[in-house]
Amino acid sequence: MIKEASAVIIGGGIIGSSIAFNLLKMGMKDVSIFERSYISSGSTGRCGGGIRQQWSSPMNVRLAMRSVKLFENFKIDVGNDIEYYQGGYLLLAYTDSEADDFVKNVTMQKAQGLDVELLTPLMIKEKFPFLNIEGIKVGSWCQSDGHANPQIANIAYAIAIRKLGGDFNSHTEVKGIDVKNGEIIGVETDKGFVSTHTVIDTAGANSAKIGEMVDVKIPVYGERHQILITEPVNHFLDPLVINFNHNYYVRQTHHGSLIMGQGDKNPAPGEDLGNTIEFLEEMAAKMTKDFPLLKKVHIVRQWSGAYDMSPDAQPVIDEAHELSRFIYATGFSGHGFMLAPAVGEAVAEMVIHGKSMTMDISNLKIDRFREKVEKEHNVV
Amino acid sequence: MKTYDAVIIGGGPAGLLGALTLGNHGVETLLLDENAEIGGQLVKQTHKFFGDHEHYASVRGFEIAKKLRTEVEKTQVKLSTSSTVIGIYPENTIAYVRNDQMEKVRYKKLLIATGAMEKQLPFINSDLPGVYGAGAIQTLMNQYGIFPGKRFLIVGSGNIGLILAYQLVQAGAEVRAIIEALGAIGGYEVHSNKVKRLGIPILLNHTVLKAIGDESVQGAVIARVDDKFNPVAGTEKELVVDTICISVGLMPLTELAEQAQCKISYIPELGGYVPLRDVRMRTTNPDVFVAGDLSSIEEATTAMIEGKIAALQITEDLEKIDLEEELNEELKTISLFRSGPKSFKIRAGLEKMGIKNSKIEVPKVTSFIKRIEDGKVRAVIECDEEIPCNSCESVCKFDAIKIGKNLNAKPVLDPSKCTGCSLCMLSCPGLAIFMESVDTVTHKGTLALPYEFLPLPKVEEKMWGMDRDGNYVCDVTVKKVIKSPNKTNIVHVEMQDEFVDMVRHIKFPQKESPFVCRCEEITVEEIEKVIDSGITDFEELKRMTRVTMGPCGGKNCRMITLGILSRKTGIPISELSHGTSRPPVKPVEFSIFLRRDEK
Repeated sequence: MIKEASAVIIGGGIIGSSIAFNLLKMGMKDVSIFERSYISSGSTGRCGGGIRQQWSSPMNVRLAMRSVKLFENFKIDVGNDIEYYQGGYLLLAYTDSEADDFVKNVTMQKAQGLDVELLTPLMIKEKFPFLNIEGIKVGSWCQSDGHANPQIANIAYAIAIRKLGGDFNSHTEVKGIDVKNGEIIGVETDKGFVSTHTVIDTAGANSAKIGEMVDVKIPVYGERHQILITEPVNHFLDPLVINFNHNYYVRQTHHGSLIMGQGDKNPAPGEDLGNTIEFLEEMAAKMTKDFPLLKKVHIVRQWSGAYDMSPDAQPVIDEAHELSRFIYATGFSGHGFMLAPAVGEAVAEMVIHGKSMTMDISNLKIDRFREKVEKEHNVV
Repeated sequence: MKTYDAVIIGGGPAGLLGALTLGNHGVETLLLDENAEIGGQLVKQTHKFFGDHEHYASVRGFEIAKKLRTEVEKTQVKLSTSSTVIGIYPENTIAYVRNDQMEKVRYKKLLIATGAMEKQLPFINSDLPGVYGAGAIQTLMNQYGIFPGKRFLIVGSGNIGLILAYQLVQAGAEVRAIIEALGAIGGYEVHSNKVKRLGIPILLNHTVLKAIGDESVQGAVIARVDDKFNPVAGTEKELVVDTICISVGLMPLTELAEQAQCKISYIPELGGYVPLRDVRMRTTNPDVFVAGDLSSIEEATTAMIEGKIAALQITEDLEKIDLEEELNEELKTISLFRSGPKSFKIRAGLEKMGIKNSKIEVPKVTSFIKRIEDGKVRAVIECDEEIPCNSCESVCKFDAIKIGKNLNAKPVLDPSKCTGCSLCMLSCPGLAIFMESVDTVTHKGTLALPYEFLPLPKVEEKMWGMDRDGNYVCDVTVKKVIKSPNKTNIVHVEMQDEFVDMVRHIKFPQKESPFVCRCEEITVEEIEKVIDSGITDFEELKRMTRVTMGPCGGKNCRMITLGILSRKTGIPISELSHGTSRPPVKPVEFSIFLRRDEK
């Protein structure tokens, strides 16, 4: 742990790690990052690992497209094989209004330059004969979507950060942020003090708590989502399938296991990372209906993680009005992993140049909540 | 034609004990054996025998044969080897062939101890060269030093199959599997433990369907069987082996007994067709006695006692002297041997013949605390089955091991009396005793284990510590090697203290890195590589390698991984994070959550 840092990042998940990595890449020295537990212990290591560009807001689409570009070069840029696989994303619509949304979204996404198409139920059946297409109105399909192993990706960033001379501290908890005359002067941790003038809050579901340390209000809260993994089976599922209507997503990992999850009806708060048997019951009922071939497949493990929910289910990336050089990148609402490479780049640019250069992410500033909140619908 | 007072046919343990007893009482006796070397099956038994310390327990079979022969040679008994009996004819006449010459001899009393032969098992291509009986392999390997193959499949998990597997590995062969049609291992648990820790899988409810090969065996097809022993379609598996070894039980050799006018009856519990006889081994022909496997398929120890009982009765008959006291003593001993749970079949079989075995209660022994943590070396006894053996109790000079009068009782150790002298470990035929000590200050554990393989490791040599199922646990360092005249050598190895209770065998490090996580097939080398790259957090290591993340949930490999991590980082295991246990504890199918009508 270094004594003086040009920037301190609080939260060593994929967002914080990507920011640190990009800062170092852009030439910043003495970047400190604090992770209170092991690397990938938080939401990153608990997430499904999907990487998609089919969003309902143009901002999200653009950011995700930029991320995909960076994911494609991850192995060379960052290092390590993170099992990145562009097997596509298949979104399924069951109602007329869902179908209408899909049509609208695909038009918008195409306008952003995304190669995306609508599939009829028959086309879906042809592409994925194992899928029960009963009730499907239409599907939305993008081949360049995909998935990767988020845990390895997080650790890969950490390894790269350390190689670039960054100060990555796991098992180090931030206890306070010292401010003098309205200016940040340092960060207190359970392992000691580091002086700095710049703090980046990437603590996910806990980012509001970090904000409170310096009286910065961040409208983000944790919401528990459950997930499970099966034994490995022969590869059969290329895409990640999202079914908003039946409320699930599923993908097959490089290793053969199936990872799947849902949004609980009355989600527990993010602090409660317990598991329920009802989750397994509900998943089993719908998954074996839509994927009859799963009946004899074994569930190996279930766990849960916290979505860092924002009011419109979209990221909140800004410098605090209340305190200068206190920057936060949070509120990813369940899709932080897939946006991380692009967000890391944008935030690093913000820190160094005062604003993001590669991508305009000004839409994600906190001021948007003063106006009418337009919620991202495509979230499980 | 010469008439002997007594003739014995068969020079195995039963015949030899019979000869010795008759010789000691001065009865004029001829022993006929068809082999060049006397001793029967004993001559190929390289393992230590179970039993009563007074009955050659802890002595290796071939050494028992040697001892008995020397003792018999001191008496007046005439030993005629390479003598094959071809028939028993009227007027107590035995015809036998010796040196290409037919000979005839008469007896007043006859003891038949012809033993048994191996049962056959029908399967496709069972006539291919490379399919052997277990006894044949033991003869080739242990008696003549000829190795019939390199990779073996053993069919049958009785004591013979288990012992053979162990001997094959001792000789440097590979045993791919032992398969057993029943749902439980047939032989003693200590024997099966001995082979399991060598890494040999024992597949229950399995049979062999077919030998593969044109000129000789190149493989075997095995399959699961249902409870009626029918192969289950779709469960076939191919094993690459060059030798299939059948060890599915023994069948008494009754021909000569039949020719000697003994009534034969089918009693499956005793091995099939057996001569009817009374408790003193007299058949329905009052001048003819039987002993050993011919009378019931059992162990060498009971064969020896039976031989002795028969001989004592023959002596009484011929010499008109009273040997009742000695006879009753032997009868008591043999029923004690048969009083354990493993002998239930024999008891049932004998009962059909009208021989009752008085039930002898296995006494409950007081249990002691398992271990005293004071850094001193003490015995750990892993003998958890009621088998007739008391060798450990007999050799213990400090009264630390209790079995009691009934030698079927399990041994119980009083650690406060144990001095760690290791005599019990040397004598245990099941290799079920180990010596352990743990130093809570240095976190080092020492394990002394019986080692019957060559070459012996050298002091300070690094070895692999293997667990009870033959899986890698951790690296160990050899600290002491004690050569023993009974060939059960003792090796002391040192390791992290956590693993002293897990390691039960040591192996020279192999070229290929051992699997730590068998679900995900992750080797020590792969784990070490990731640790060397700077990942020293167990949780991160787990996620980078998938170790502990397979269907077993880390039950098998968590400790081993922590051990590697601890060794590499110098942080004691107790201070490392050990991960989180997540439900379900056992993998479950999706369908278990569905209603019956949805399945």
